[in-house]
Amino acid sequence: MSEWMTSFLVLTGAFLILIAAVGVVRLPDVLCRSHAVAKALTLGIFLLLLGLWARLGENQAAFKILLAIGFQLITIPVSSHLVGLITLQQNAPRWRHRPMDDHRVDARATTQPPPASARESTPAPGSPSTK
Amino acid sequence: MIDVALNLGFVMLALAILLGAVRLVRGPSIMDRVLAFDLITTCAVGMIVLLSIRWRTVLYLELILVFSLLGFLTTVAFVFYLNRAVPNTAEGQGKDKAKQPQGPT
Repeated sequence: MSEWMTSFLVLTGAFLILIAAVGVVRLPDVLCRSHAVAKALTLGIFLLLLGLWARLGENQAAFKILLAIGFQLITIPVSSHLVGLITLQQNAPRWRHRPMDDHRVDARATTQPPPASARESTPAPGSPSTK
Repeated sequence: MIDVALNLGFVMLALAILLGAVRLVRGPSIMDRVLAFDLITTCAVGMIVLLSIRWRTVLYLELILVFSLLGFLTTVAFVFYLNRAVPNTAEGQGKDKAKQPQGPT
């Protein structure tokens, strides 16, 4: 019973981490990649640590495993959020088919230029990222 | 049963580290590399978890804690460095001295 649960949790967690890596390679943009890292990687490492807990038994080093789970659940989304913040501050090149431009720093600061100028000015420095 | 699952997990985590290394080499900006390094660090933590599942030991839990906190610390250090090095032109943080106009990107 414990072995079946451990193997199921390990396989699911490793598969989710692999999905996160594929997303980091395949997605077109820094923000999309941080999205892949923040969600799939967090759930994958969470399931791996739950598999370790199911393997070791309930009350053997449960506190440290819960501490590790808490650290992972806090730190990975926070680091991904910081990456997205710095990307928005630097006006990094973004995907061609991005849905909207709301949180751009220059659009919010100036509010004067029409969106056409911002749209034609943004993909000019970003030709290597948009593929 | 559990050995097969652990071997499959090792293979998947090694593939994930290889894909993260691909993004680490050909990432266009520096934030791509920071994300890829975060992914690689978390894959290393997952490999330590798989090893301690295989050997049924609790000795490596401190190693797991230290690795996860070090990965977070590297990301935060990079973000603080980039936040100070690159002058943001629009927001009201003009108190930065703007000593590097181009930045490391």
